[in-house]
Amino acid sequence: MSPTDAVSPVASPADAEAPLLEVRQLKVYFPITRGIVVERHVGDVRAVDDVTLTLRRGETLGLVGESGCGKSTMGRAILRLYRPTAGRIIFDGQDITTLEGAALRSVRRRMQMIFQDPYASLNPRMTVGGIVGEPLDIHSLGTRNERRQRVEQLFEIVGLDPSYAERYPHEFSGGQRQRVGVARALAVNPDLIVADEPVSALDVSIQAQIVNLLERLQVQFRLTYLFIAHDLSVVRHISDRIAVMYLGRIVELAPSRELYDAPRHPYTVALISAVPIPDPAVESRRRRIILTGDVPNPAAPPPGCHFHTRCWLRERLGNPAECVEVEPQLRTLDSGHEVACHFAEQVDGSIAQRRAISGGANPPAEAPGVTAAQTQPLPPQRPSAH
Amino acid sequence: MLLSVRDLIVRFRTHDGTVYAVNGVSFDLEEGETLGLVGESGCGKSVTNLAVMRLLPQPAGHIENGQVLFNTEDLTKLPEASMRELRGRDIAMIFQDPMTSLNPVLTIEEQMVETIQAHRRVSSVDARARAIELLGMVGIPEPAGRLRNYPHQFSGGMRQRVMIAMALALEPQLLIADEPTTALDVTIQAQVLELLQRLTKERGTAVILITHDLGVVAGMTGRINVMYAGFIVEAATTPELFAKPRHPYTVGLLHSIPRVDAGPEEALIPIEGVPPDLRVAPVGCPFAPRCAWRMARCWTENPSLGPLEPGTTVRTSGPEATHRVACWNPPTADEAAAGAPQRPGFAPAEPPEAAGRVAAGPGANRLAASPESARDR
Repeated sequence: MSPTDAVSPVASPADAEAPLLEVRQLKVYFPITRGIVVERHVGDVRAVDDVTLTLRRGETLGLVGESGCGKSTMGRAILRLYRPTAGRIIFDGQDITTLEGAALRSVRRRMQMIFQDPYASLNPRMTVGGIVGEPLDIHSLGTRNERRQRVEQLFEIVGLDPSYAERYPHEFSGGQRQRVGVARALAVNPDLIVADEPVSALDVSIQAQIVNLLERLQVQFRLTYLFIAHDLSVVRHISDRIAVMYLGRIVELAPSRELYDAPRHPYTVALISAVPIPDPAVESRRRRIILTGDVPNPAAPPPGCHFHTRCWLRERLGNPAECVEVEPQLRTLDSGHEVACHFAEQVDGSIAQRRAISGGANPPAEAPGVTAAQTQPLPPQRPSAH
Repeated sequence: MLLSVRDLIVRFRTHDGTVYAVNGVSFDLEEGETLGLVGESGCGKSVTNLAVMRLLPQPAGHIENGQVLFNTEDLTKLPEASMRELRGRDIAMIFQDPMTSLNPVLTIEEQMVETIQAHRRVSSVDARARAIELLGMVGIPEPAGRLRNYPHQFSGGMRQRVMIAMALALEPQLLIADEPTTALDVTIQAQVLELLQRLTKERGTAVILITHDLGVVAGMTGRINVMYAGFIVEAATTPELFAKPRHPYTVGLLHSIPRVDAGPEEALIPIEGVPPDLRVAPVGCPFAPRCAWRMARCWTENPSLGPLEPGTTVRTSGPEATHRVACWNPPTADEAAAGAPQRPGFAPAEPPEAAGRVAAGPGANRLAASPESARDR
């Protein structure tokens, strides 16, 4: 059995319908302990707190959020690099939440990861050929000769000269190292690739090379991606659907264009509004929604809706008590967005909100039924954090 | 003219050889103007400003040639003692990572009072009152109490606010901000940029904003210099640069970044290859090996920065500044929009036969890109 045959994707018509990955009520808590001899458990950092999502075959799901929102923990927990505190992870119909040993390793052959830092994620003492071939050794795929051929083939697939296989990582630029990282992930022909900030460490002109490479490979090998990044522009470009995370929870999930055209969670609106657009004409028209303060401590998240301490919408609605008292559940709106906000209907895509997102480019004709409250302008560029 | 940098050349002598970091950079800045310096890592944008401040890492870095005229005084010739007085008082700087630019073992109060008293003859009580006023100005809640805190007790965004407060403490004429928001989350970046813009506008402080993020300069600056491999390759007012980019590198950058407000069928057009090794003395146009518009002469002759129409009177600063580009074969407006040459039968010129510059010697840490990478276009 040659390594290429061994790892060809199996897709029978029956399982084409079923999602590739289901995550149900996943919780990943990191305990905080005190004391030296006797460790007392005094609390938890709730990195991932009750997240449910599905990944369809062949799609790219983007996971965005600011640092500390739990997006990387989420990605690693899915690959079982962390042990979930609660919840279930179902990969291709198999519950992998508690798998161990050989059974877990055999599942991992079908799910691989691409890391952010191509400098830190490649062993400096191994040749790049050795790095790319290592997953084949671990999973004992093919003979020595077949593995060598497979490595050569992988180099060509990711756009590297196969004659570089004997060189070491430090001889490569950042973009080329990331290609090595991609080749390593592809080596065992996985179904799912979790890409954790794969282009964040790269220069702008190199980012596009890697993004285009990932897109081409997805088509070529029918890959499913979980694409984790903080850069909304890149995530929007590559993803079919996007989940926005805030303090360990998903606050909004929608197809990527719809998420950007008509965000429904106040946090998503503010997040998109904060992204600078490389167009001075658009920038001069925009009226940003500037959130006050910092992200709260995930070890002691605010009660109710985690976002209520920074929410511009809550302020506008006269600070309803519901936001503090009741934890909002992810619910599906008429538009198909899944949103965790009690007042998502109040985020209506009014002119003022559109201006925050894209400078009001192509504003729709104002609907006659729009009430005065809806078109009330947002607080313009208020000085923050006073 | 507030600042006038003339023919600046900066080199680093290292164990691996000479690094050609800045290779003849000239630009002007008027009072109250905001200038963006845009480019990727290693393009010389930070080194240019460290040279202006005379803060190049010693002993490796030194100014090989050129003048830095600040209020007509040449800073490269100033004694170190006068330079120390000038830093902070006339020109202040904010760095990317506030944690490494604040002293971790001193309270914010000690650091701010020290800064103020180094330049102004004021009592500690007055300096402390000024520090409280400044922290309040940058939006730090309970400034009097926070003064007694250490840098690690502040979040990243708050630390950058403290840095801004310290930088503006002495009302400098020029503020150099080197990637001030790159380490921050996007919602915090929006807070800090808004603050920076408001405070410098109120005070009429001139700003040099160094960044790799074209989105940030679009909203923050009046004028932009695009740098590549230690050269300024394009200079224009901000609206002009984004509306009519004329250097292949600028065009390439604009096509490599996805836009959050883009239409449905946005394709990214990457720039092929990798940035040049700065340890090799520049020959020809530095961008030629990656350029889709290159001609034969681009390999051997480096074009100088000049106006698009020869013979135009050049204005180097202000809102009427002349659009200048360093290119033998600038893309047309249509080509800039398409991101690729549109002329029938045009192909980028092959490198000259004897060229040793593309060979990867044992010391070169960057290998030539394989032709396979061109497929991802």
